Amino acid sequence: MIEVSGVTKQYGGERVVSDLSFSVRKGSTFGFLGQNGAGKTTTIKMLVGLISPFSGKILIEGISPSTLSIKKKIGFMPESAYFYERLTGMEFLHFCGELFGLNKDEKYYESIFKKLGIYEAKNKVIREYSKGMKQRLGFAQAIVNNPEYVFLDEPLDGLDPIGRREIKEIIKSLQKEGRTIFLNSHILYDIEELCDEIGIIHKGKLLYFGTINLFCSGISLEERFIKLIEKEK
Amino acid sequence: MLSIAKITFREAIRDRILYTILIFGILFALLTLFLAQLTVGDLAMVRSFGLAGIYIFGMIITIFLGSSVVYREIEKKTLYFVLSKPISRGRVIVGKFLGLLFAVALTTICMALIYLFIIAYEGGGIDVLGLVSILLQILEETLFIAMLILFSSFSTPLISTISSLLLLFVGHLLDTVVKSAEQIGGAIHQIFLYASYILPNLEKFNIRNLVIHDIGISFETLLVIIGYTILYIFIFLISAEAIFKKREL
Repeated sequence: MIEVSGVTKQYGGERVVSDLSFSVRKGSTFGFLGQNGAGKTTTIKMLVGLISPFSGKILIEGISPSTLSIKKKIGFMPESAYFYERLTGMEFLHFCGELFGLNKDEKYYESIFKKLGIYEAKNKVIREYSKGMKQRLGFAQAIVNNPEYVFLDEPLDGLDPIGRREIKEIIKSLQKEGRTIFLNSHILYDIEELCDEIGIIHKGKLLYFGTINLFCSGISLEERFIKLIEKEK
Repeated sequence: MLSIAKITFREAIRDRILYTILIFGILFALLTLFLAQLTVGDLAMVRSFGLAGIYIFGMIITIFLGSSVVYREIEKKTLYFVLSKPISRGRVIVGKFLGLLFAVALTTICMALIYLFIIAYEGGGIDVLGLVSILLQILEETLFIAMLILFSSFSTPLISTISSLLLLFVGHLLDTVVKSAEQIGGAIHQIFLYASYILPNLEKFNIRNLVIHDIGISFETLLVIIGYTILYIFIFLISAEAIFKKREL
């Protein structure tokens, strides 16, 4: 389970996340919605232990995410990440696996490349990858350790329709395997399709946390979301 | 940690700018062949020129590779992939240090091999003292890499480069400056004396002037220099880790 209690984050004098509290049940898929600059990425960075909250607590299985033992169970895909451009895809994935202490053979990593549809590019330098290929590689390194908790920051960004479908199928397969998935997105349609529960953040504050059905109450997610944000404005 | 070192090494040695600098360094070393013809058997001149060239280009490569190593990873967010995994920031710092060290040492050794071949070709045999001089250069480069990692953990590549160039200059002039300040005396002398205790004295690593006159150093002196290097590396890397731990990504 992921527990977030009273979390605040500020940079200088500016609060980017304010008194955030929610929880994510083990084995569920949680969608974190918000406009650009709402605080989604800051929140996910705190959840995976990259940065620490100014106040409040974040616990995964009762342990802080900055603890190395919990990081072994986490997979994280950053948004629009830069890679080590002079490495090949395979070298990069091997590197990520080694950071988890994995001692897998080439076939294991090849199977991940095949799953993500970039097998042919595995020995190409990442500099030559397209945006979509980099996005898939980012997803590949997020699941290299077979994580129990998968944190995805805009995982479908930059993908063509076929790529989007393929990644969604992978997310659904992770769901079937009982992984806990935390998904940042501003694309409501994807959240509606994939998530059990959602949290809506606006200017660092949580406006809603709960199921999609309860939130929507008969109207579309997009309509309901826009109404909520406009009400806040 | 070794994974970080391996990736850092690979990224460094695949940098095209590094190859450009290295090619210039090799060309410079090859120039000593031409110089050997001009000096007609005066190996002291050839050794001086060759060792100076290896030093200059070795330090250019060190500063080029080291000045942005941590800063670039923070700015480009490649560290997001690394630090979201079970590895401490301390291990990242040490891994970066080792990776850069291997890359810099490899380029220095490449230039050194050409130099040694030229000396042997010109009838100087195996230049053992030249080898010791190059070993001390690698130690100096090691110290510099640790220092650059420290700078890179909190400042931009431009400031890291300028600071390291200043320290390179000051580090080699420290003995001369302290001796001059001694003659002036008073507070000036005290300031420079204390500065000499804190700043690394890079002239300790410079035995090129001795080598060209076939003068070596004792094993004990070499051990002291190695100990001196290890102490500074420890201080720089511990400081880099402390700063990096507080750095927000």
